[in-house]
Amino acid sequence: MNLDLQPMIVKATQDVFDTMIMMPVTPGTPLAEQVETFHCNVSGMLGFSGDLKGMLTIHCPDAVAQAITANFLGMDIDSVNDDVKDAIGELANMITGGVKDALAESGEGIRLSVPTTIAGRSYSLASLSDTHWVIIPFSTEKGEFLVELKCKTDILKLKE
Amino acid sequence: MDLQKNITDATTEIFETMIMMEITPGDPLKELVTTFHHTVSGMVGLAGTFKGLLAIHTPNDVAKAITSNFLGLDVEDIDDDVKDAIGELANMLAGNIKQAIDTTGKDVTLSIPSAVHGEEYTLNCLANAEWMIMPFTTPSGEFLVELQFEKA
Repeated sequence: MNLDLQPMIVKATQDVFDTMIMMPVTPGTPLAEQVETFHCNVSGMLGFSGDLKGMLTIHCPDAVAQAITANFLGMDIDSVNDDVKDAIGELANMITGGVKDALAESGEGIRLSVPTTIAGRSYSLASLSDTHWVIIPFSTEKGEFLVELKCKTDILKLKE
Repeated sequence: MDLQKNITDATTEIFETMIMMEITPGDPLKELVTTFHHTVSGMVGLAGTFKGLLAIHTPNDVAKAITSNFLGLDVEDIDDDVKDAIGELANMLAGNIKQAIDTTGKDVTLSIPSAVHGEEYTLNCLANAEWMIMPFTTPSGEFLVELQFEKA
């Protein structure tokens, strides 16, 4: 079993942006170093458990978060308000749903928790150290956002 | 299920047996708290027929005191040890509360713990969630234990 998470994340993210957000996004090269510190940013996250346990997080700079929300809800957005926090949490939920479907095709079942959104001028978000992680940057007209998947699993399952 | 009692029992037990710190529970908060300053929040997701989030919000001083007691070492800054300790604390609390939830016939499994830290940040669970927030007092200050869960 070689689970390759990267294409699952790319496809799930592109599907959601194509069909729900209606915003073109271009995936970049997975990051070589973990990012844990964020500035003027909104992070939507969703925990999951089952055959794999972990967390999917989308990290959007404020301007990107506002643009996504404006497209998603079809309204003008001029600050990081509750609509933006809800939208970015829901986005994490939708992307994780796509990853869940892809994992199910590989015979791995996961169950989702509820989405949570963190926002602030300066914050760090860290998981316990012994987790496998993939972070993929995506570029939009308004800037770049990151989709991060962290999980704890039998490492033999994962494609190196 | 008496959530207030479950949270109080779980938190008290873990602080007595693992952290070796005396804590006193207060009254459940009437208003949701979503903005935090100079705080470390540990959290873990709950999935299954009971879905939600368990979080513990500790002001920096309380987070350092907990870590210092837990790991038996001096802690001066909010370093990786502190974030790991507060994340692990959320994990232990969720594990303990999970046992109480399991007895109601709902099944719940835990995701992985993580920790947020910053000068000022907001943490929101998506709407439609029920919540319970319990304050606890320690010699170094107060911390909050929060359980958010989706209505059945």
